[in-house]
Amino acid sequence: MIPVKEILLPETVDEVCRLLQDTNGLSKIIAGGTDIIPGFHIESPRFVNIERLIDINNIDELKSVSVTEDYISIGSAISFSEIISNPVINEKLPLLVKASRTIGSTQIRNRATLGGNFINNAPCADSVAPLLVYDAEIKIKSIAAEKIMKLQDFLVKPYRTRLMSDEIVTQIIVPNPPAKLIGDFYKLGRRRAVSISRISLAILLDVNNGFINEMRIASGAVTPIGTRFYDVEEFFKGRILDDELIKDIAIKLGERIMEVSGVRWSSEYKIPVVQQVCYQLIKGIERRSL
Amino acid sequence: MNKEKFNIVGKPVVRQDGYSKVTGKAKYADDYQFDGELYGIMVRTNVSHAIIKGIDFSSIENHPSITAIITHLDIGGSKKVGPIKQDQPIFCFEKIVTPGDVVAMLVGENEVVLKELAKKVKIDLEELPVLEDTSTALASDSILIHPQYNSNLITHYPLRRGNVEKGFKQSDEIIEQTYTTQLIEHAYIEPECVTAIPGEGNIRIKIIGSIQNPFTTRRVVASVLSCGLNEVEVIQAELGGSFGGKDDTMNILSARAAVAALKLNRPVKIKYDREESIIESYKRHPYILNYKIGFNKDGKIKAMKIDLLADGGAYSSMSPFVTWRSVVQATGPYQVPNVYTDVRVVYTNNPYTGAMRGFGSPQPIFAIESMMDEIALKVGKTPFEIRKINGFKQGSVTASGQKLSGHEVTLHKVLKKATDVSSFNKKWNENKNSAQRVDDSPKSFMNESLVLKKNDFIPPDNLWKKGIGLALSYRGCSLGAEGIDAAATYVSIQPDGTVYLLSGLAENGQGLKTTFSIVAAEVLGISPEKIIYLEPNTSRVPDSGPTVASRATLMGGGATKNACEELKNRLSKILLKEWKLKSASDLIFANGIVVYKGKRPKKISFDELIKTAYSKGVNLSTIGWYSGPKVHWEEETGHGSAYFTYVYGCQVAEVSVNVGTGEVYINNIWAVHDAGKVINLLGAEGQIYGGTTQGAGYGLWEKISTHNGKIRENNFDQFLIPTSKDIDAIHPFFVEGKDKFGAWGGKSLGEPTLELTAAAIANAITNATGKRFFNLPINIEELLLRKKLYPESLKRGSTS
Repeated sequence: MIPVKEILLPETVDEVCRLLQDTNGLSKIIAGGTDIIPGFHIESPRFVNIERLIDINNIDELKSVSVTEDYISIGSAISFSEIISNPVINEKLPLLVKASRTIGSTQIRNRATLGGNFINNAPCADSVAPLLVYDAEIKIKSIAAEKIMKLQDFLVKPYRTRLMSDEIVTQIIVPNPPAKLIGDFYKLGRRRAVSISRISLAILLDVNNGFINEMRIASGAVTPIGTRFYDVEEFFKGRILDDELIKDIAIKLGERIMEVSGVRWSSEYKIPVVQQVCYQLIKGIERRSL
Repeated sequence: MNKEKFNIVGKPVVRQDGYSKVTGKAKYADDYQFDGELYGIMVRTNVSHAIIKGIDFSSIENHPSITAIITHLDIGGSKKVGPIKQDQPIFCFEKIVTPGDVVAMLVGENEVVLKELAKKVKIDLEELPVLEDTSTALASDSILIHPQYNSNLITHYPLRRGNVEKGFKQSDEIIEQTYTTQLIEHAYIEPECVTAIPGEGNIRIKIIGSIQNPFTTRRVVASVLSCGLNEVEVIQAELGGSFGGKDDTMNILSARAAVAALKLNRPVKIKYDREESIIESYKRHPYILNYKIGFNKDGKIKAMKIDLLADGGAYSSMSPFVTWRSVVQATGPYQVPNVYTDVRVVYTNNPYTGAMRGFGSPQPIFAIESMMDEIALKVGKTPFEIRKINGFKQGSVTASGQKLSGHEVTLHKVLKKATDVSSFNKKWNENKNSAQRVDDSPKSFMNESLVLKKNDFIPPDNLWKKGIGLALSYRGCSLGAEGIDAAATYVSIQPDGTVYLLSGLAENGQGLKTTFSIVAAEVLGISPEKIIYLEPNTSRVPDSGPTVASRATLMGGGATKNACEELKNRLSKILLKEWKLKSASDLIFANGIVVYKGKRPKKISFDELIKTAYSKGVNLSTIGWYSGPKVHWEEETGHGSAYFTYVYGCQVAEVSVNVGTGEVYINNIWAVHDAGKVINLLGAEGQIYGGTTQGAGYGLWEKISTHNGKIRENNFDQFLIPTSKDIDAIHPFFVEGKDKFGAWGGKSLGEPTLELTAAAIANAITNATGKRFFNLPINIEELLLRKKLYPESLKRGSTS
């Protein structure tokens, strides 16, 4: 049951910040509601004692996409359907678009928002792995301050972030990816739609004359939270990308994920398969970069 | 008979209730509201098996939100019910035998508050060991679920034919394998909902709900209230899906609501959310199936020894009937001279199992059709050839000794059609040659550390493998030797030529209103649009048995045709007199006109004829009756004429398997069915689209698992049914075998469409991978690891 007593519809971010200020954690921001509403119904401990919902759907600033020479800025309340149909995001951040297409169903994508996907830090959030390989940062506002933080730093542990109760994430800021980086994303679910990820993996590669100039790898669902593998990326930098090396990368990634996640009930399936997925993704990228 | 020319029968007709359903105008059970209505909220325990020592309501009984607390003490009639064995309490009072069990119902105006109060009831329980493992249920030291029966055995059906040991001795080869199938939920979109309204006048109680079998509900409610059947009126609201699932559960909910409504003299509504629905409602039986088959080098089967063990869960429900169909059909549609079958169903503390579309056939079909492919591989034949060699022909004798005659045995026709349209033989051989046969033991290709070795990586071009597989079946139509088989339809022509129609069978979404209207329209020679199908109500039409066993078109179609032919005869008699004719055989009723095609042709519009009939005082209302011929069964030997007629079907599935991840995508399903005469082409195709999709879910995704008897997958985020993105093309085909039964030989289709798909997919996966899979569903873990993986507890990440 929905315990909420009132729903407010502020028109500006400042107004949201003021509303967040004058309650004692009894307010919750709602955008698409695809997490909160089912959360209420299953009486999730993440949503107890919420008396007031602040609906941010009327704030244009939170739905806008802007581009500068250095970065793309995406409003946190943009829906996945809007991401999929946005030409700028399609051109600059194809992995984010590919991941967005795998989320839920058309109806869910029409409601669910980019900010809402990572704000609860669920391990299976499909947009997180692409955002991490794109080095996404987020802008956070409160009545007192405005700060910018790397997404990776924002995500602390499962269902925990650095967001304070008086703060709102307003923008996702992605540095313009170098054109040489090409990549791919794979989501493995139990079925092809309305499916919770078992494994997601995003990889960006810049291969120069057969050498790895830059590599970025991030995972979702197979690690406790969405995770970038900087050490794996560094380890293979400057190496010649061939079949043997791609297998080495996949094996190294499997070992790192084992270290990060430990052995869980699902490891017997997930660990071998994430390596297989990693191998397949890089083989595909290799083919395209020839 | 099939040479008859039809005006409407066999054409695509849009269903009568379609428009109101897609526009939201249709009135489902929860759309009914009544003045003074109260809600009933269930009180459950947190255990799977316990003795109830006492229930303490003192902490809540004076709460202002509680109008009444209903328990077994409020029941004047039967405290326990059940279609065959009366082992299921309306409210538990002796024992808890499964987590869905209900000990009391809180009644009041505010559901939200009542749900909170339900958690506060103190129930004093003495917990007992939980019996989850079916295979230990019959052990002498096993705990008894219902001690009054002295055993956990619900029923045992043997079938003996020939001499199986001799048959094995005469065989060149023997294969013995064990298969398992899983517990699944019907997954009707509308959860259970019912309202009981205290009656006016002589009717004691009126029930409106999401009910599959209104007459069964009436019987259960009358028995619980200890009153006459005619004092209980059951009305079926538009039904949001059933698939066999809105029988026992709905009868019990109706009884609970009725007891409360009569106690308080106010309407009482019970409506379940998805979690409650999945926790309390019955499911499809999991089976353990052991098959030993002896055959010759030429592929001819000599003997089959079959041992099936089904999990009946906590209550017997329809288990005896479900498993009886299994014993009849266990050998598949094959001629086997020596058969030794045992089918047992047992009690456990698991969710109880009962009727679900398929009804004891999907499980043995998965096993026998897998085995047939194994035999084919062993003797170097194709799946098509091995079935051609062994399949039933006209006049073949089934395992129970029944000669297949009196209808056209189309097994070889459907097999040929399905393999032709799918290019089966060519594709199967190509795929087989590219997939190496692997007889791996579980886990053998994964090393202990879980990290892959270099040669474990799959070259991208070998990642996706194609496979094609088929499955073949015969199926007994309607109830068979389960029980009395008869149905009624009421038809009444109004003075303006419009028509009322009402059958004693129920519209459960299968399209029966439209099918029967087509039958009536064809006989009377009018448009189906002139027919209105009345609201299903047990007080208005004779009990026609349950709407189950794919029997509605066959039995109700027959009753509708009989009723309309009777009225047509009455109308013909008027014309014989008016037009001074000798025989009615030259009168043609079609397109709203009646024509005499004699030397001096005459014609009259149907409406004009009706006017004339009314002016002459002719009765234009009647009840048509259709009853099946006698069938019989000998319980000790498993001999008998199990069903009075049969249908045949063959499905081919083409899949792509990702051998790196275990994902399976269904590229094509070709479904060829002999349902006899097709009445509504659109409805028949719809059955195939729906049935194959549901069957695919059984094959690849759906599974209810339990942890100490408690269900893990209690909503659709965990219990995964297929989406439109998981299956590409479904190709329906009909082969219309001749039959004398039903309306022009229109027989059964609903369940045949579902029962074959999982088996065809499993065979396709084997064709793609070279590996045989023994346990449904073949989900991503089963495909790679040959086992299922489960979290250690029922907790989920997002709620802990």
